Amino acid sequence: MSPKWLSKFISFIFMTAFLASTLTGCWSRREIETLGFVTALGVDRTEEGEIEITVHIAKPFAVARGTEGGVSTEKGFWTVSSTGSTAFEAMRNLLLQSPRRPFYAHNRFILIGEEYARAGVKDILDLFARNGETRRLARVEVIKGSTAKDFMQQVEFELERLPSEGEEGISRSVEVGLSSQPVECTLNSFLQWLETEGMEPIAVRLELIPKKPDAPINVGELLREQVRASSKHGGAAVFKGDKLVGWLDETEMRGVNWVTGKVKSGILVIDQPNEKGKLVSLEILRAKSKFQPEVKNAQVSVTVKIEAEASLGEIQGTLDPMKYPQAWTEMESQMAEAIKREVMAAISKAKELNSDIFGFGAALNRKQPKEWASLKDRWDLEFQRIDVKLEVEAKLRRMGLVTRSSEPK
Amino acid sequence: METEGGRISGSQLLALLVLTRLVPVTIEFPLVTGIEVPQDAWISSLVGTVLSIPPVLLMVHLSLKYPDKTIIEYSQLLLGKFFGKIIGFVLVWYWLSIAATMLRSVGDAYTTAVMPETPILAFILTVGFLSANAARTGLEVVGRLGEVNMLVVLLFGFLTLTLPYKVMNFENLLPVIAKGIRPIMLPTGTAISFFVQFIILGMVVPYLNNPQTLTKSSLGAIAISGFMMTAFTVALIAVFGPTVSSLMLPAFSLGRMISIGEFLERIEIIPMGAWTITVAITLAFFLWASAVAIAQLLGLRRFQALIYPLAAISVAFSILFFESFLDLELYFKEVWVPYSLTLTLGITIILYVASLIRGRSSASEKVIGSCHRNG
Repeated sequence: MSPKWLSKFISFIFMTAFLASTLTGCWSRREIETLGFVTALGVDRTEEGEIEITVHIAKPFAVARGTEGGVSTEKGFWTVSSTGSTAFEAMRNLLLQSPRRPFYAHNRFILIGEEYARAGVKDILDLFARNGETRRLARVEVIKGSTAKDFMQQVEFELERLPSEGEEGISRSVEVGLSSQPVECTLNSFLQWLETEGMEPIAVRLELIPKKPDAPINVGELLREQVRASSKHGGAAVFKGDKLVGWLDETEMRGVNWVTGKVKSGILVIDQPNEKGKLVSLEILRAKSKFQPEVKNAQVSVTVKIEAEASLGEIQGTLDPMKYPQAWTEMESQMAEAIKREVMAAISKAKELNSDIFGFGAALNRKQPKEWASLKDRWDLEFQRIDVKLEVEAKLRRMGLVTRSSEPK
Repeated sequence: METEGGRISGSQLLALLVLTRLVPVTIEFPLVTGIEVPQDAWISSLVGTVLSIPPVLLMVHLSLKYPDKTIIEYSQLLLGKFFGKIIGFVLVWYWLSIAATMLRSVGDAYTTAVMPETPILAFILTVGFLSANAARTGLEVVGRLGEVNMLVVLLFGFLTLTLPYKVMNFENLLPVIAKGIRPIMLPTGTAISFFVQFIILGMVVPYLNNPQTLTKSSLGAIAISGFMMTAFTVALIAVFGPTVSSLMLPAFSLGRMISIGEFLERIEIIPMGAWTITVAITLAFFLWASAVAIAQLLGLRRFQALIYPLAAISVAFSILFFESFLDLELYFKEVWVPYSLTLTLGITIILYVASLIRGRSSASEKVIGSCHRNG
């Protein structure tokens, strides 16, 4: 046995032992059975001024399918809250109530109660940006007219076992742009808007919709249950700095999306050209927009150009576009008017709340940084008297599978 | 007598230099963290890359004058034994201090990002021990490691850069230079201060297969790493906007923004892999250079014996120099730039001037000698 061979063997053993003991990461090991996966997180302030954190923790055994192949009838999540003088302390205090350690890496929603949001959200967002477990892609949503705790204790969706799955499904169709009425807002974009000059943040608006209690339960084969309250996702929460100052409804929010170029689809309702009191719905197919701010003689003006295409989706009353081609052009001009109305509604609401949610100031900064430098200190006043010019080009492209609406004899 | 027997190719040197430069891109990125005007950082990156070419070319030129000698050997030739050795020890100190900051960076990055409860020493020791083992095997192995892993790191970097495309908004890059030139200057200096680490090529030249490839590989390394750095800066600004200056581990945060469909997300392991590979190989390279330098300074036959002690010293430095992650960030922001720039540029210029003077005097000696013979 040569000594060289021996020394190689010994160093091999030593290396293996060293790597085996260091590379497993046993120190920070967390077994999956000891974790409680947080799917949504809410923030409020209690009457005593403490911060209250409410979380939904998924119950894996209730969500997973039973061995018999059926779905468990148990509620799929647990709602629990705790308080602390800071958010981090409150989150850690959850450990006193939760048998499993709350794990935030899969949290998709940061829900903020209206009252808390009005007092300013910056302090709470720092934790979520700093912490290694939470994600910058979590959505920031504000609950209108309720605390996050109330909301989270009541809200459920009929189609999903977890409320966060339900809200995720709604957010996904928002992301695809089927209605273009809500806003998309992640923690990352919120923090950016907060720091960008000449731009104010907007966040998702959520509302609790109480459901009427079900008809008296008939005893039968099927389990009849109805959720007590559900939620609606639409419009937006408007911030000034980090403080909530007001709300946009669905129409106004689509107005904002028209300006910022985020409209992808949605339904526009206009008057029927042929018959009074009847309506036509148009489905937006695609839209493009851009805006250019300009400073002339100390007056800031913004030119918004919108190009939209739509298809005829529904006609009330009787109308045959084949016989009256002028009705087609009339509907196009009405469509342009409808878009203008939505944009103007958004702009007047933003001026009323005095919050530059469109980022007109930021666009001016990008285009004319020198002008912006002289304007930014009194941007609040300038934004009030900003002159918006709208150029809308609306086109109707298709009308579905029939030409005229049915004409009863 | 030769302390190092191995030979590496020009492309292996290029890989090692690229990895050296990418260390401060994949972990902390002093070019963007804590700067005044974040949206102009990419200009600093570009300008810094271009401005790094002249000093690096000077280093290359100097080394090519003495292609069979390391910077340790020719500085003694140019300045005499005493002053030459002082320069040699200063360089060893410089490389060891870089090794210490790299170890600290990787430890702090792991403890901040993924395993906060684990003592930092666990990571520092593991990386230090593995790198030391690689360095003991000599330059050839380190060079081959670098060649293979540069491609891996570039691939990882490319993925981290492109996959968060959904959340990128390139309007964040505007306006360009709106706040004047002054706020761009410091980050530009930061960019250059990391490029001048290329002074380490002075240790490699005698061990190159073909010393004439040196110019090409150093310029190639500047181009590749400069491109990667600028691309990273642009992607970071596009994704994070003005908040980019608040990020501790920008590349890692960028990896966390990847979310494609519902399946390709939470893959921050990609930037983590990149930072582990770059640090481990660069560390091996720097330990090797320091060990060979000391062996040549003291006239030792084998540099291998010095590797473990030097690794132990850098591990100790990494713990003793910095109390916290904040210390490290402040070091990069306040100390590192003047320290690195004056040290490397100072040494290069002194040696270059000495070589000019010596070149002239030796030429005139020759003339005088030939006159004598003729006379």
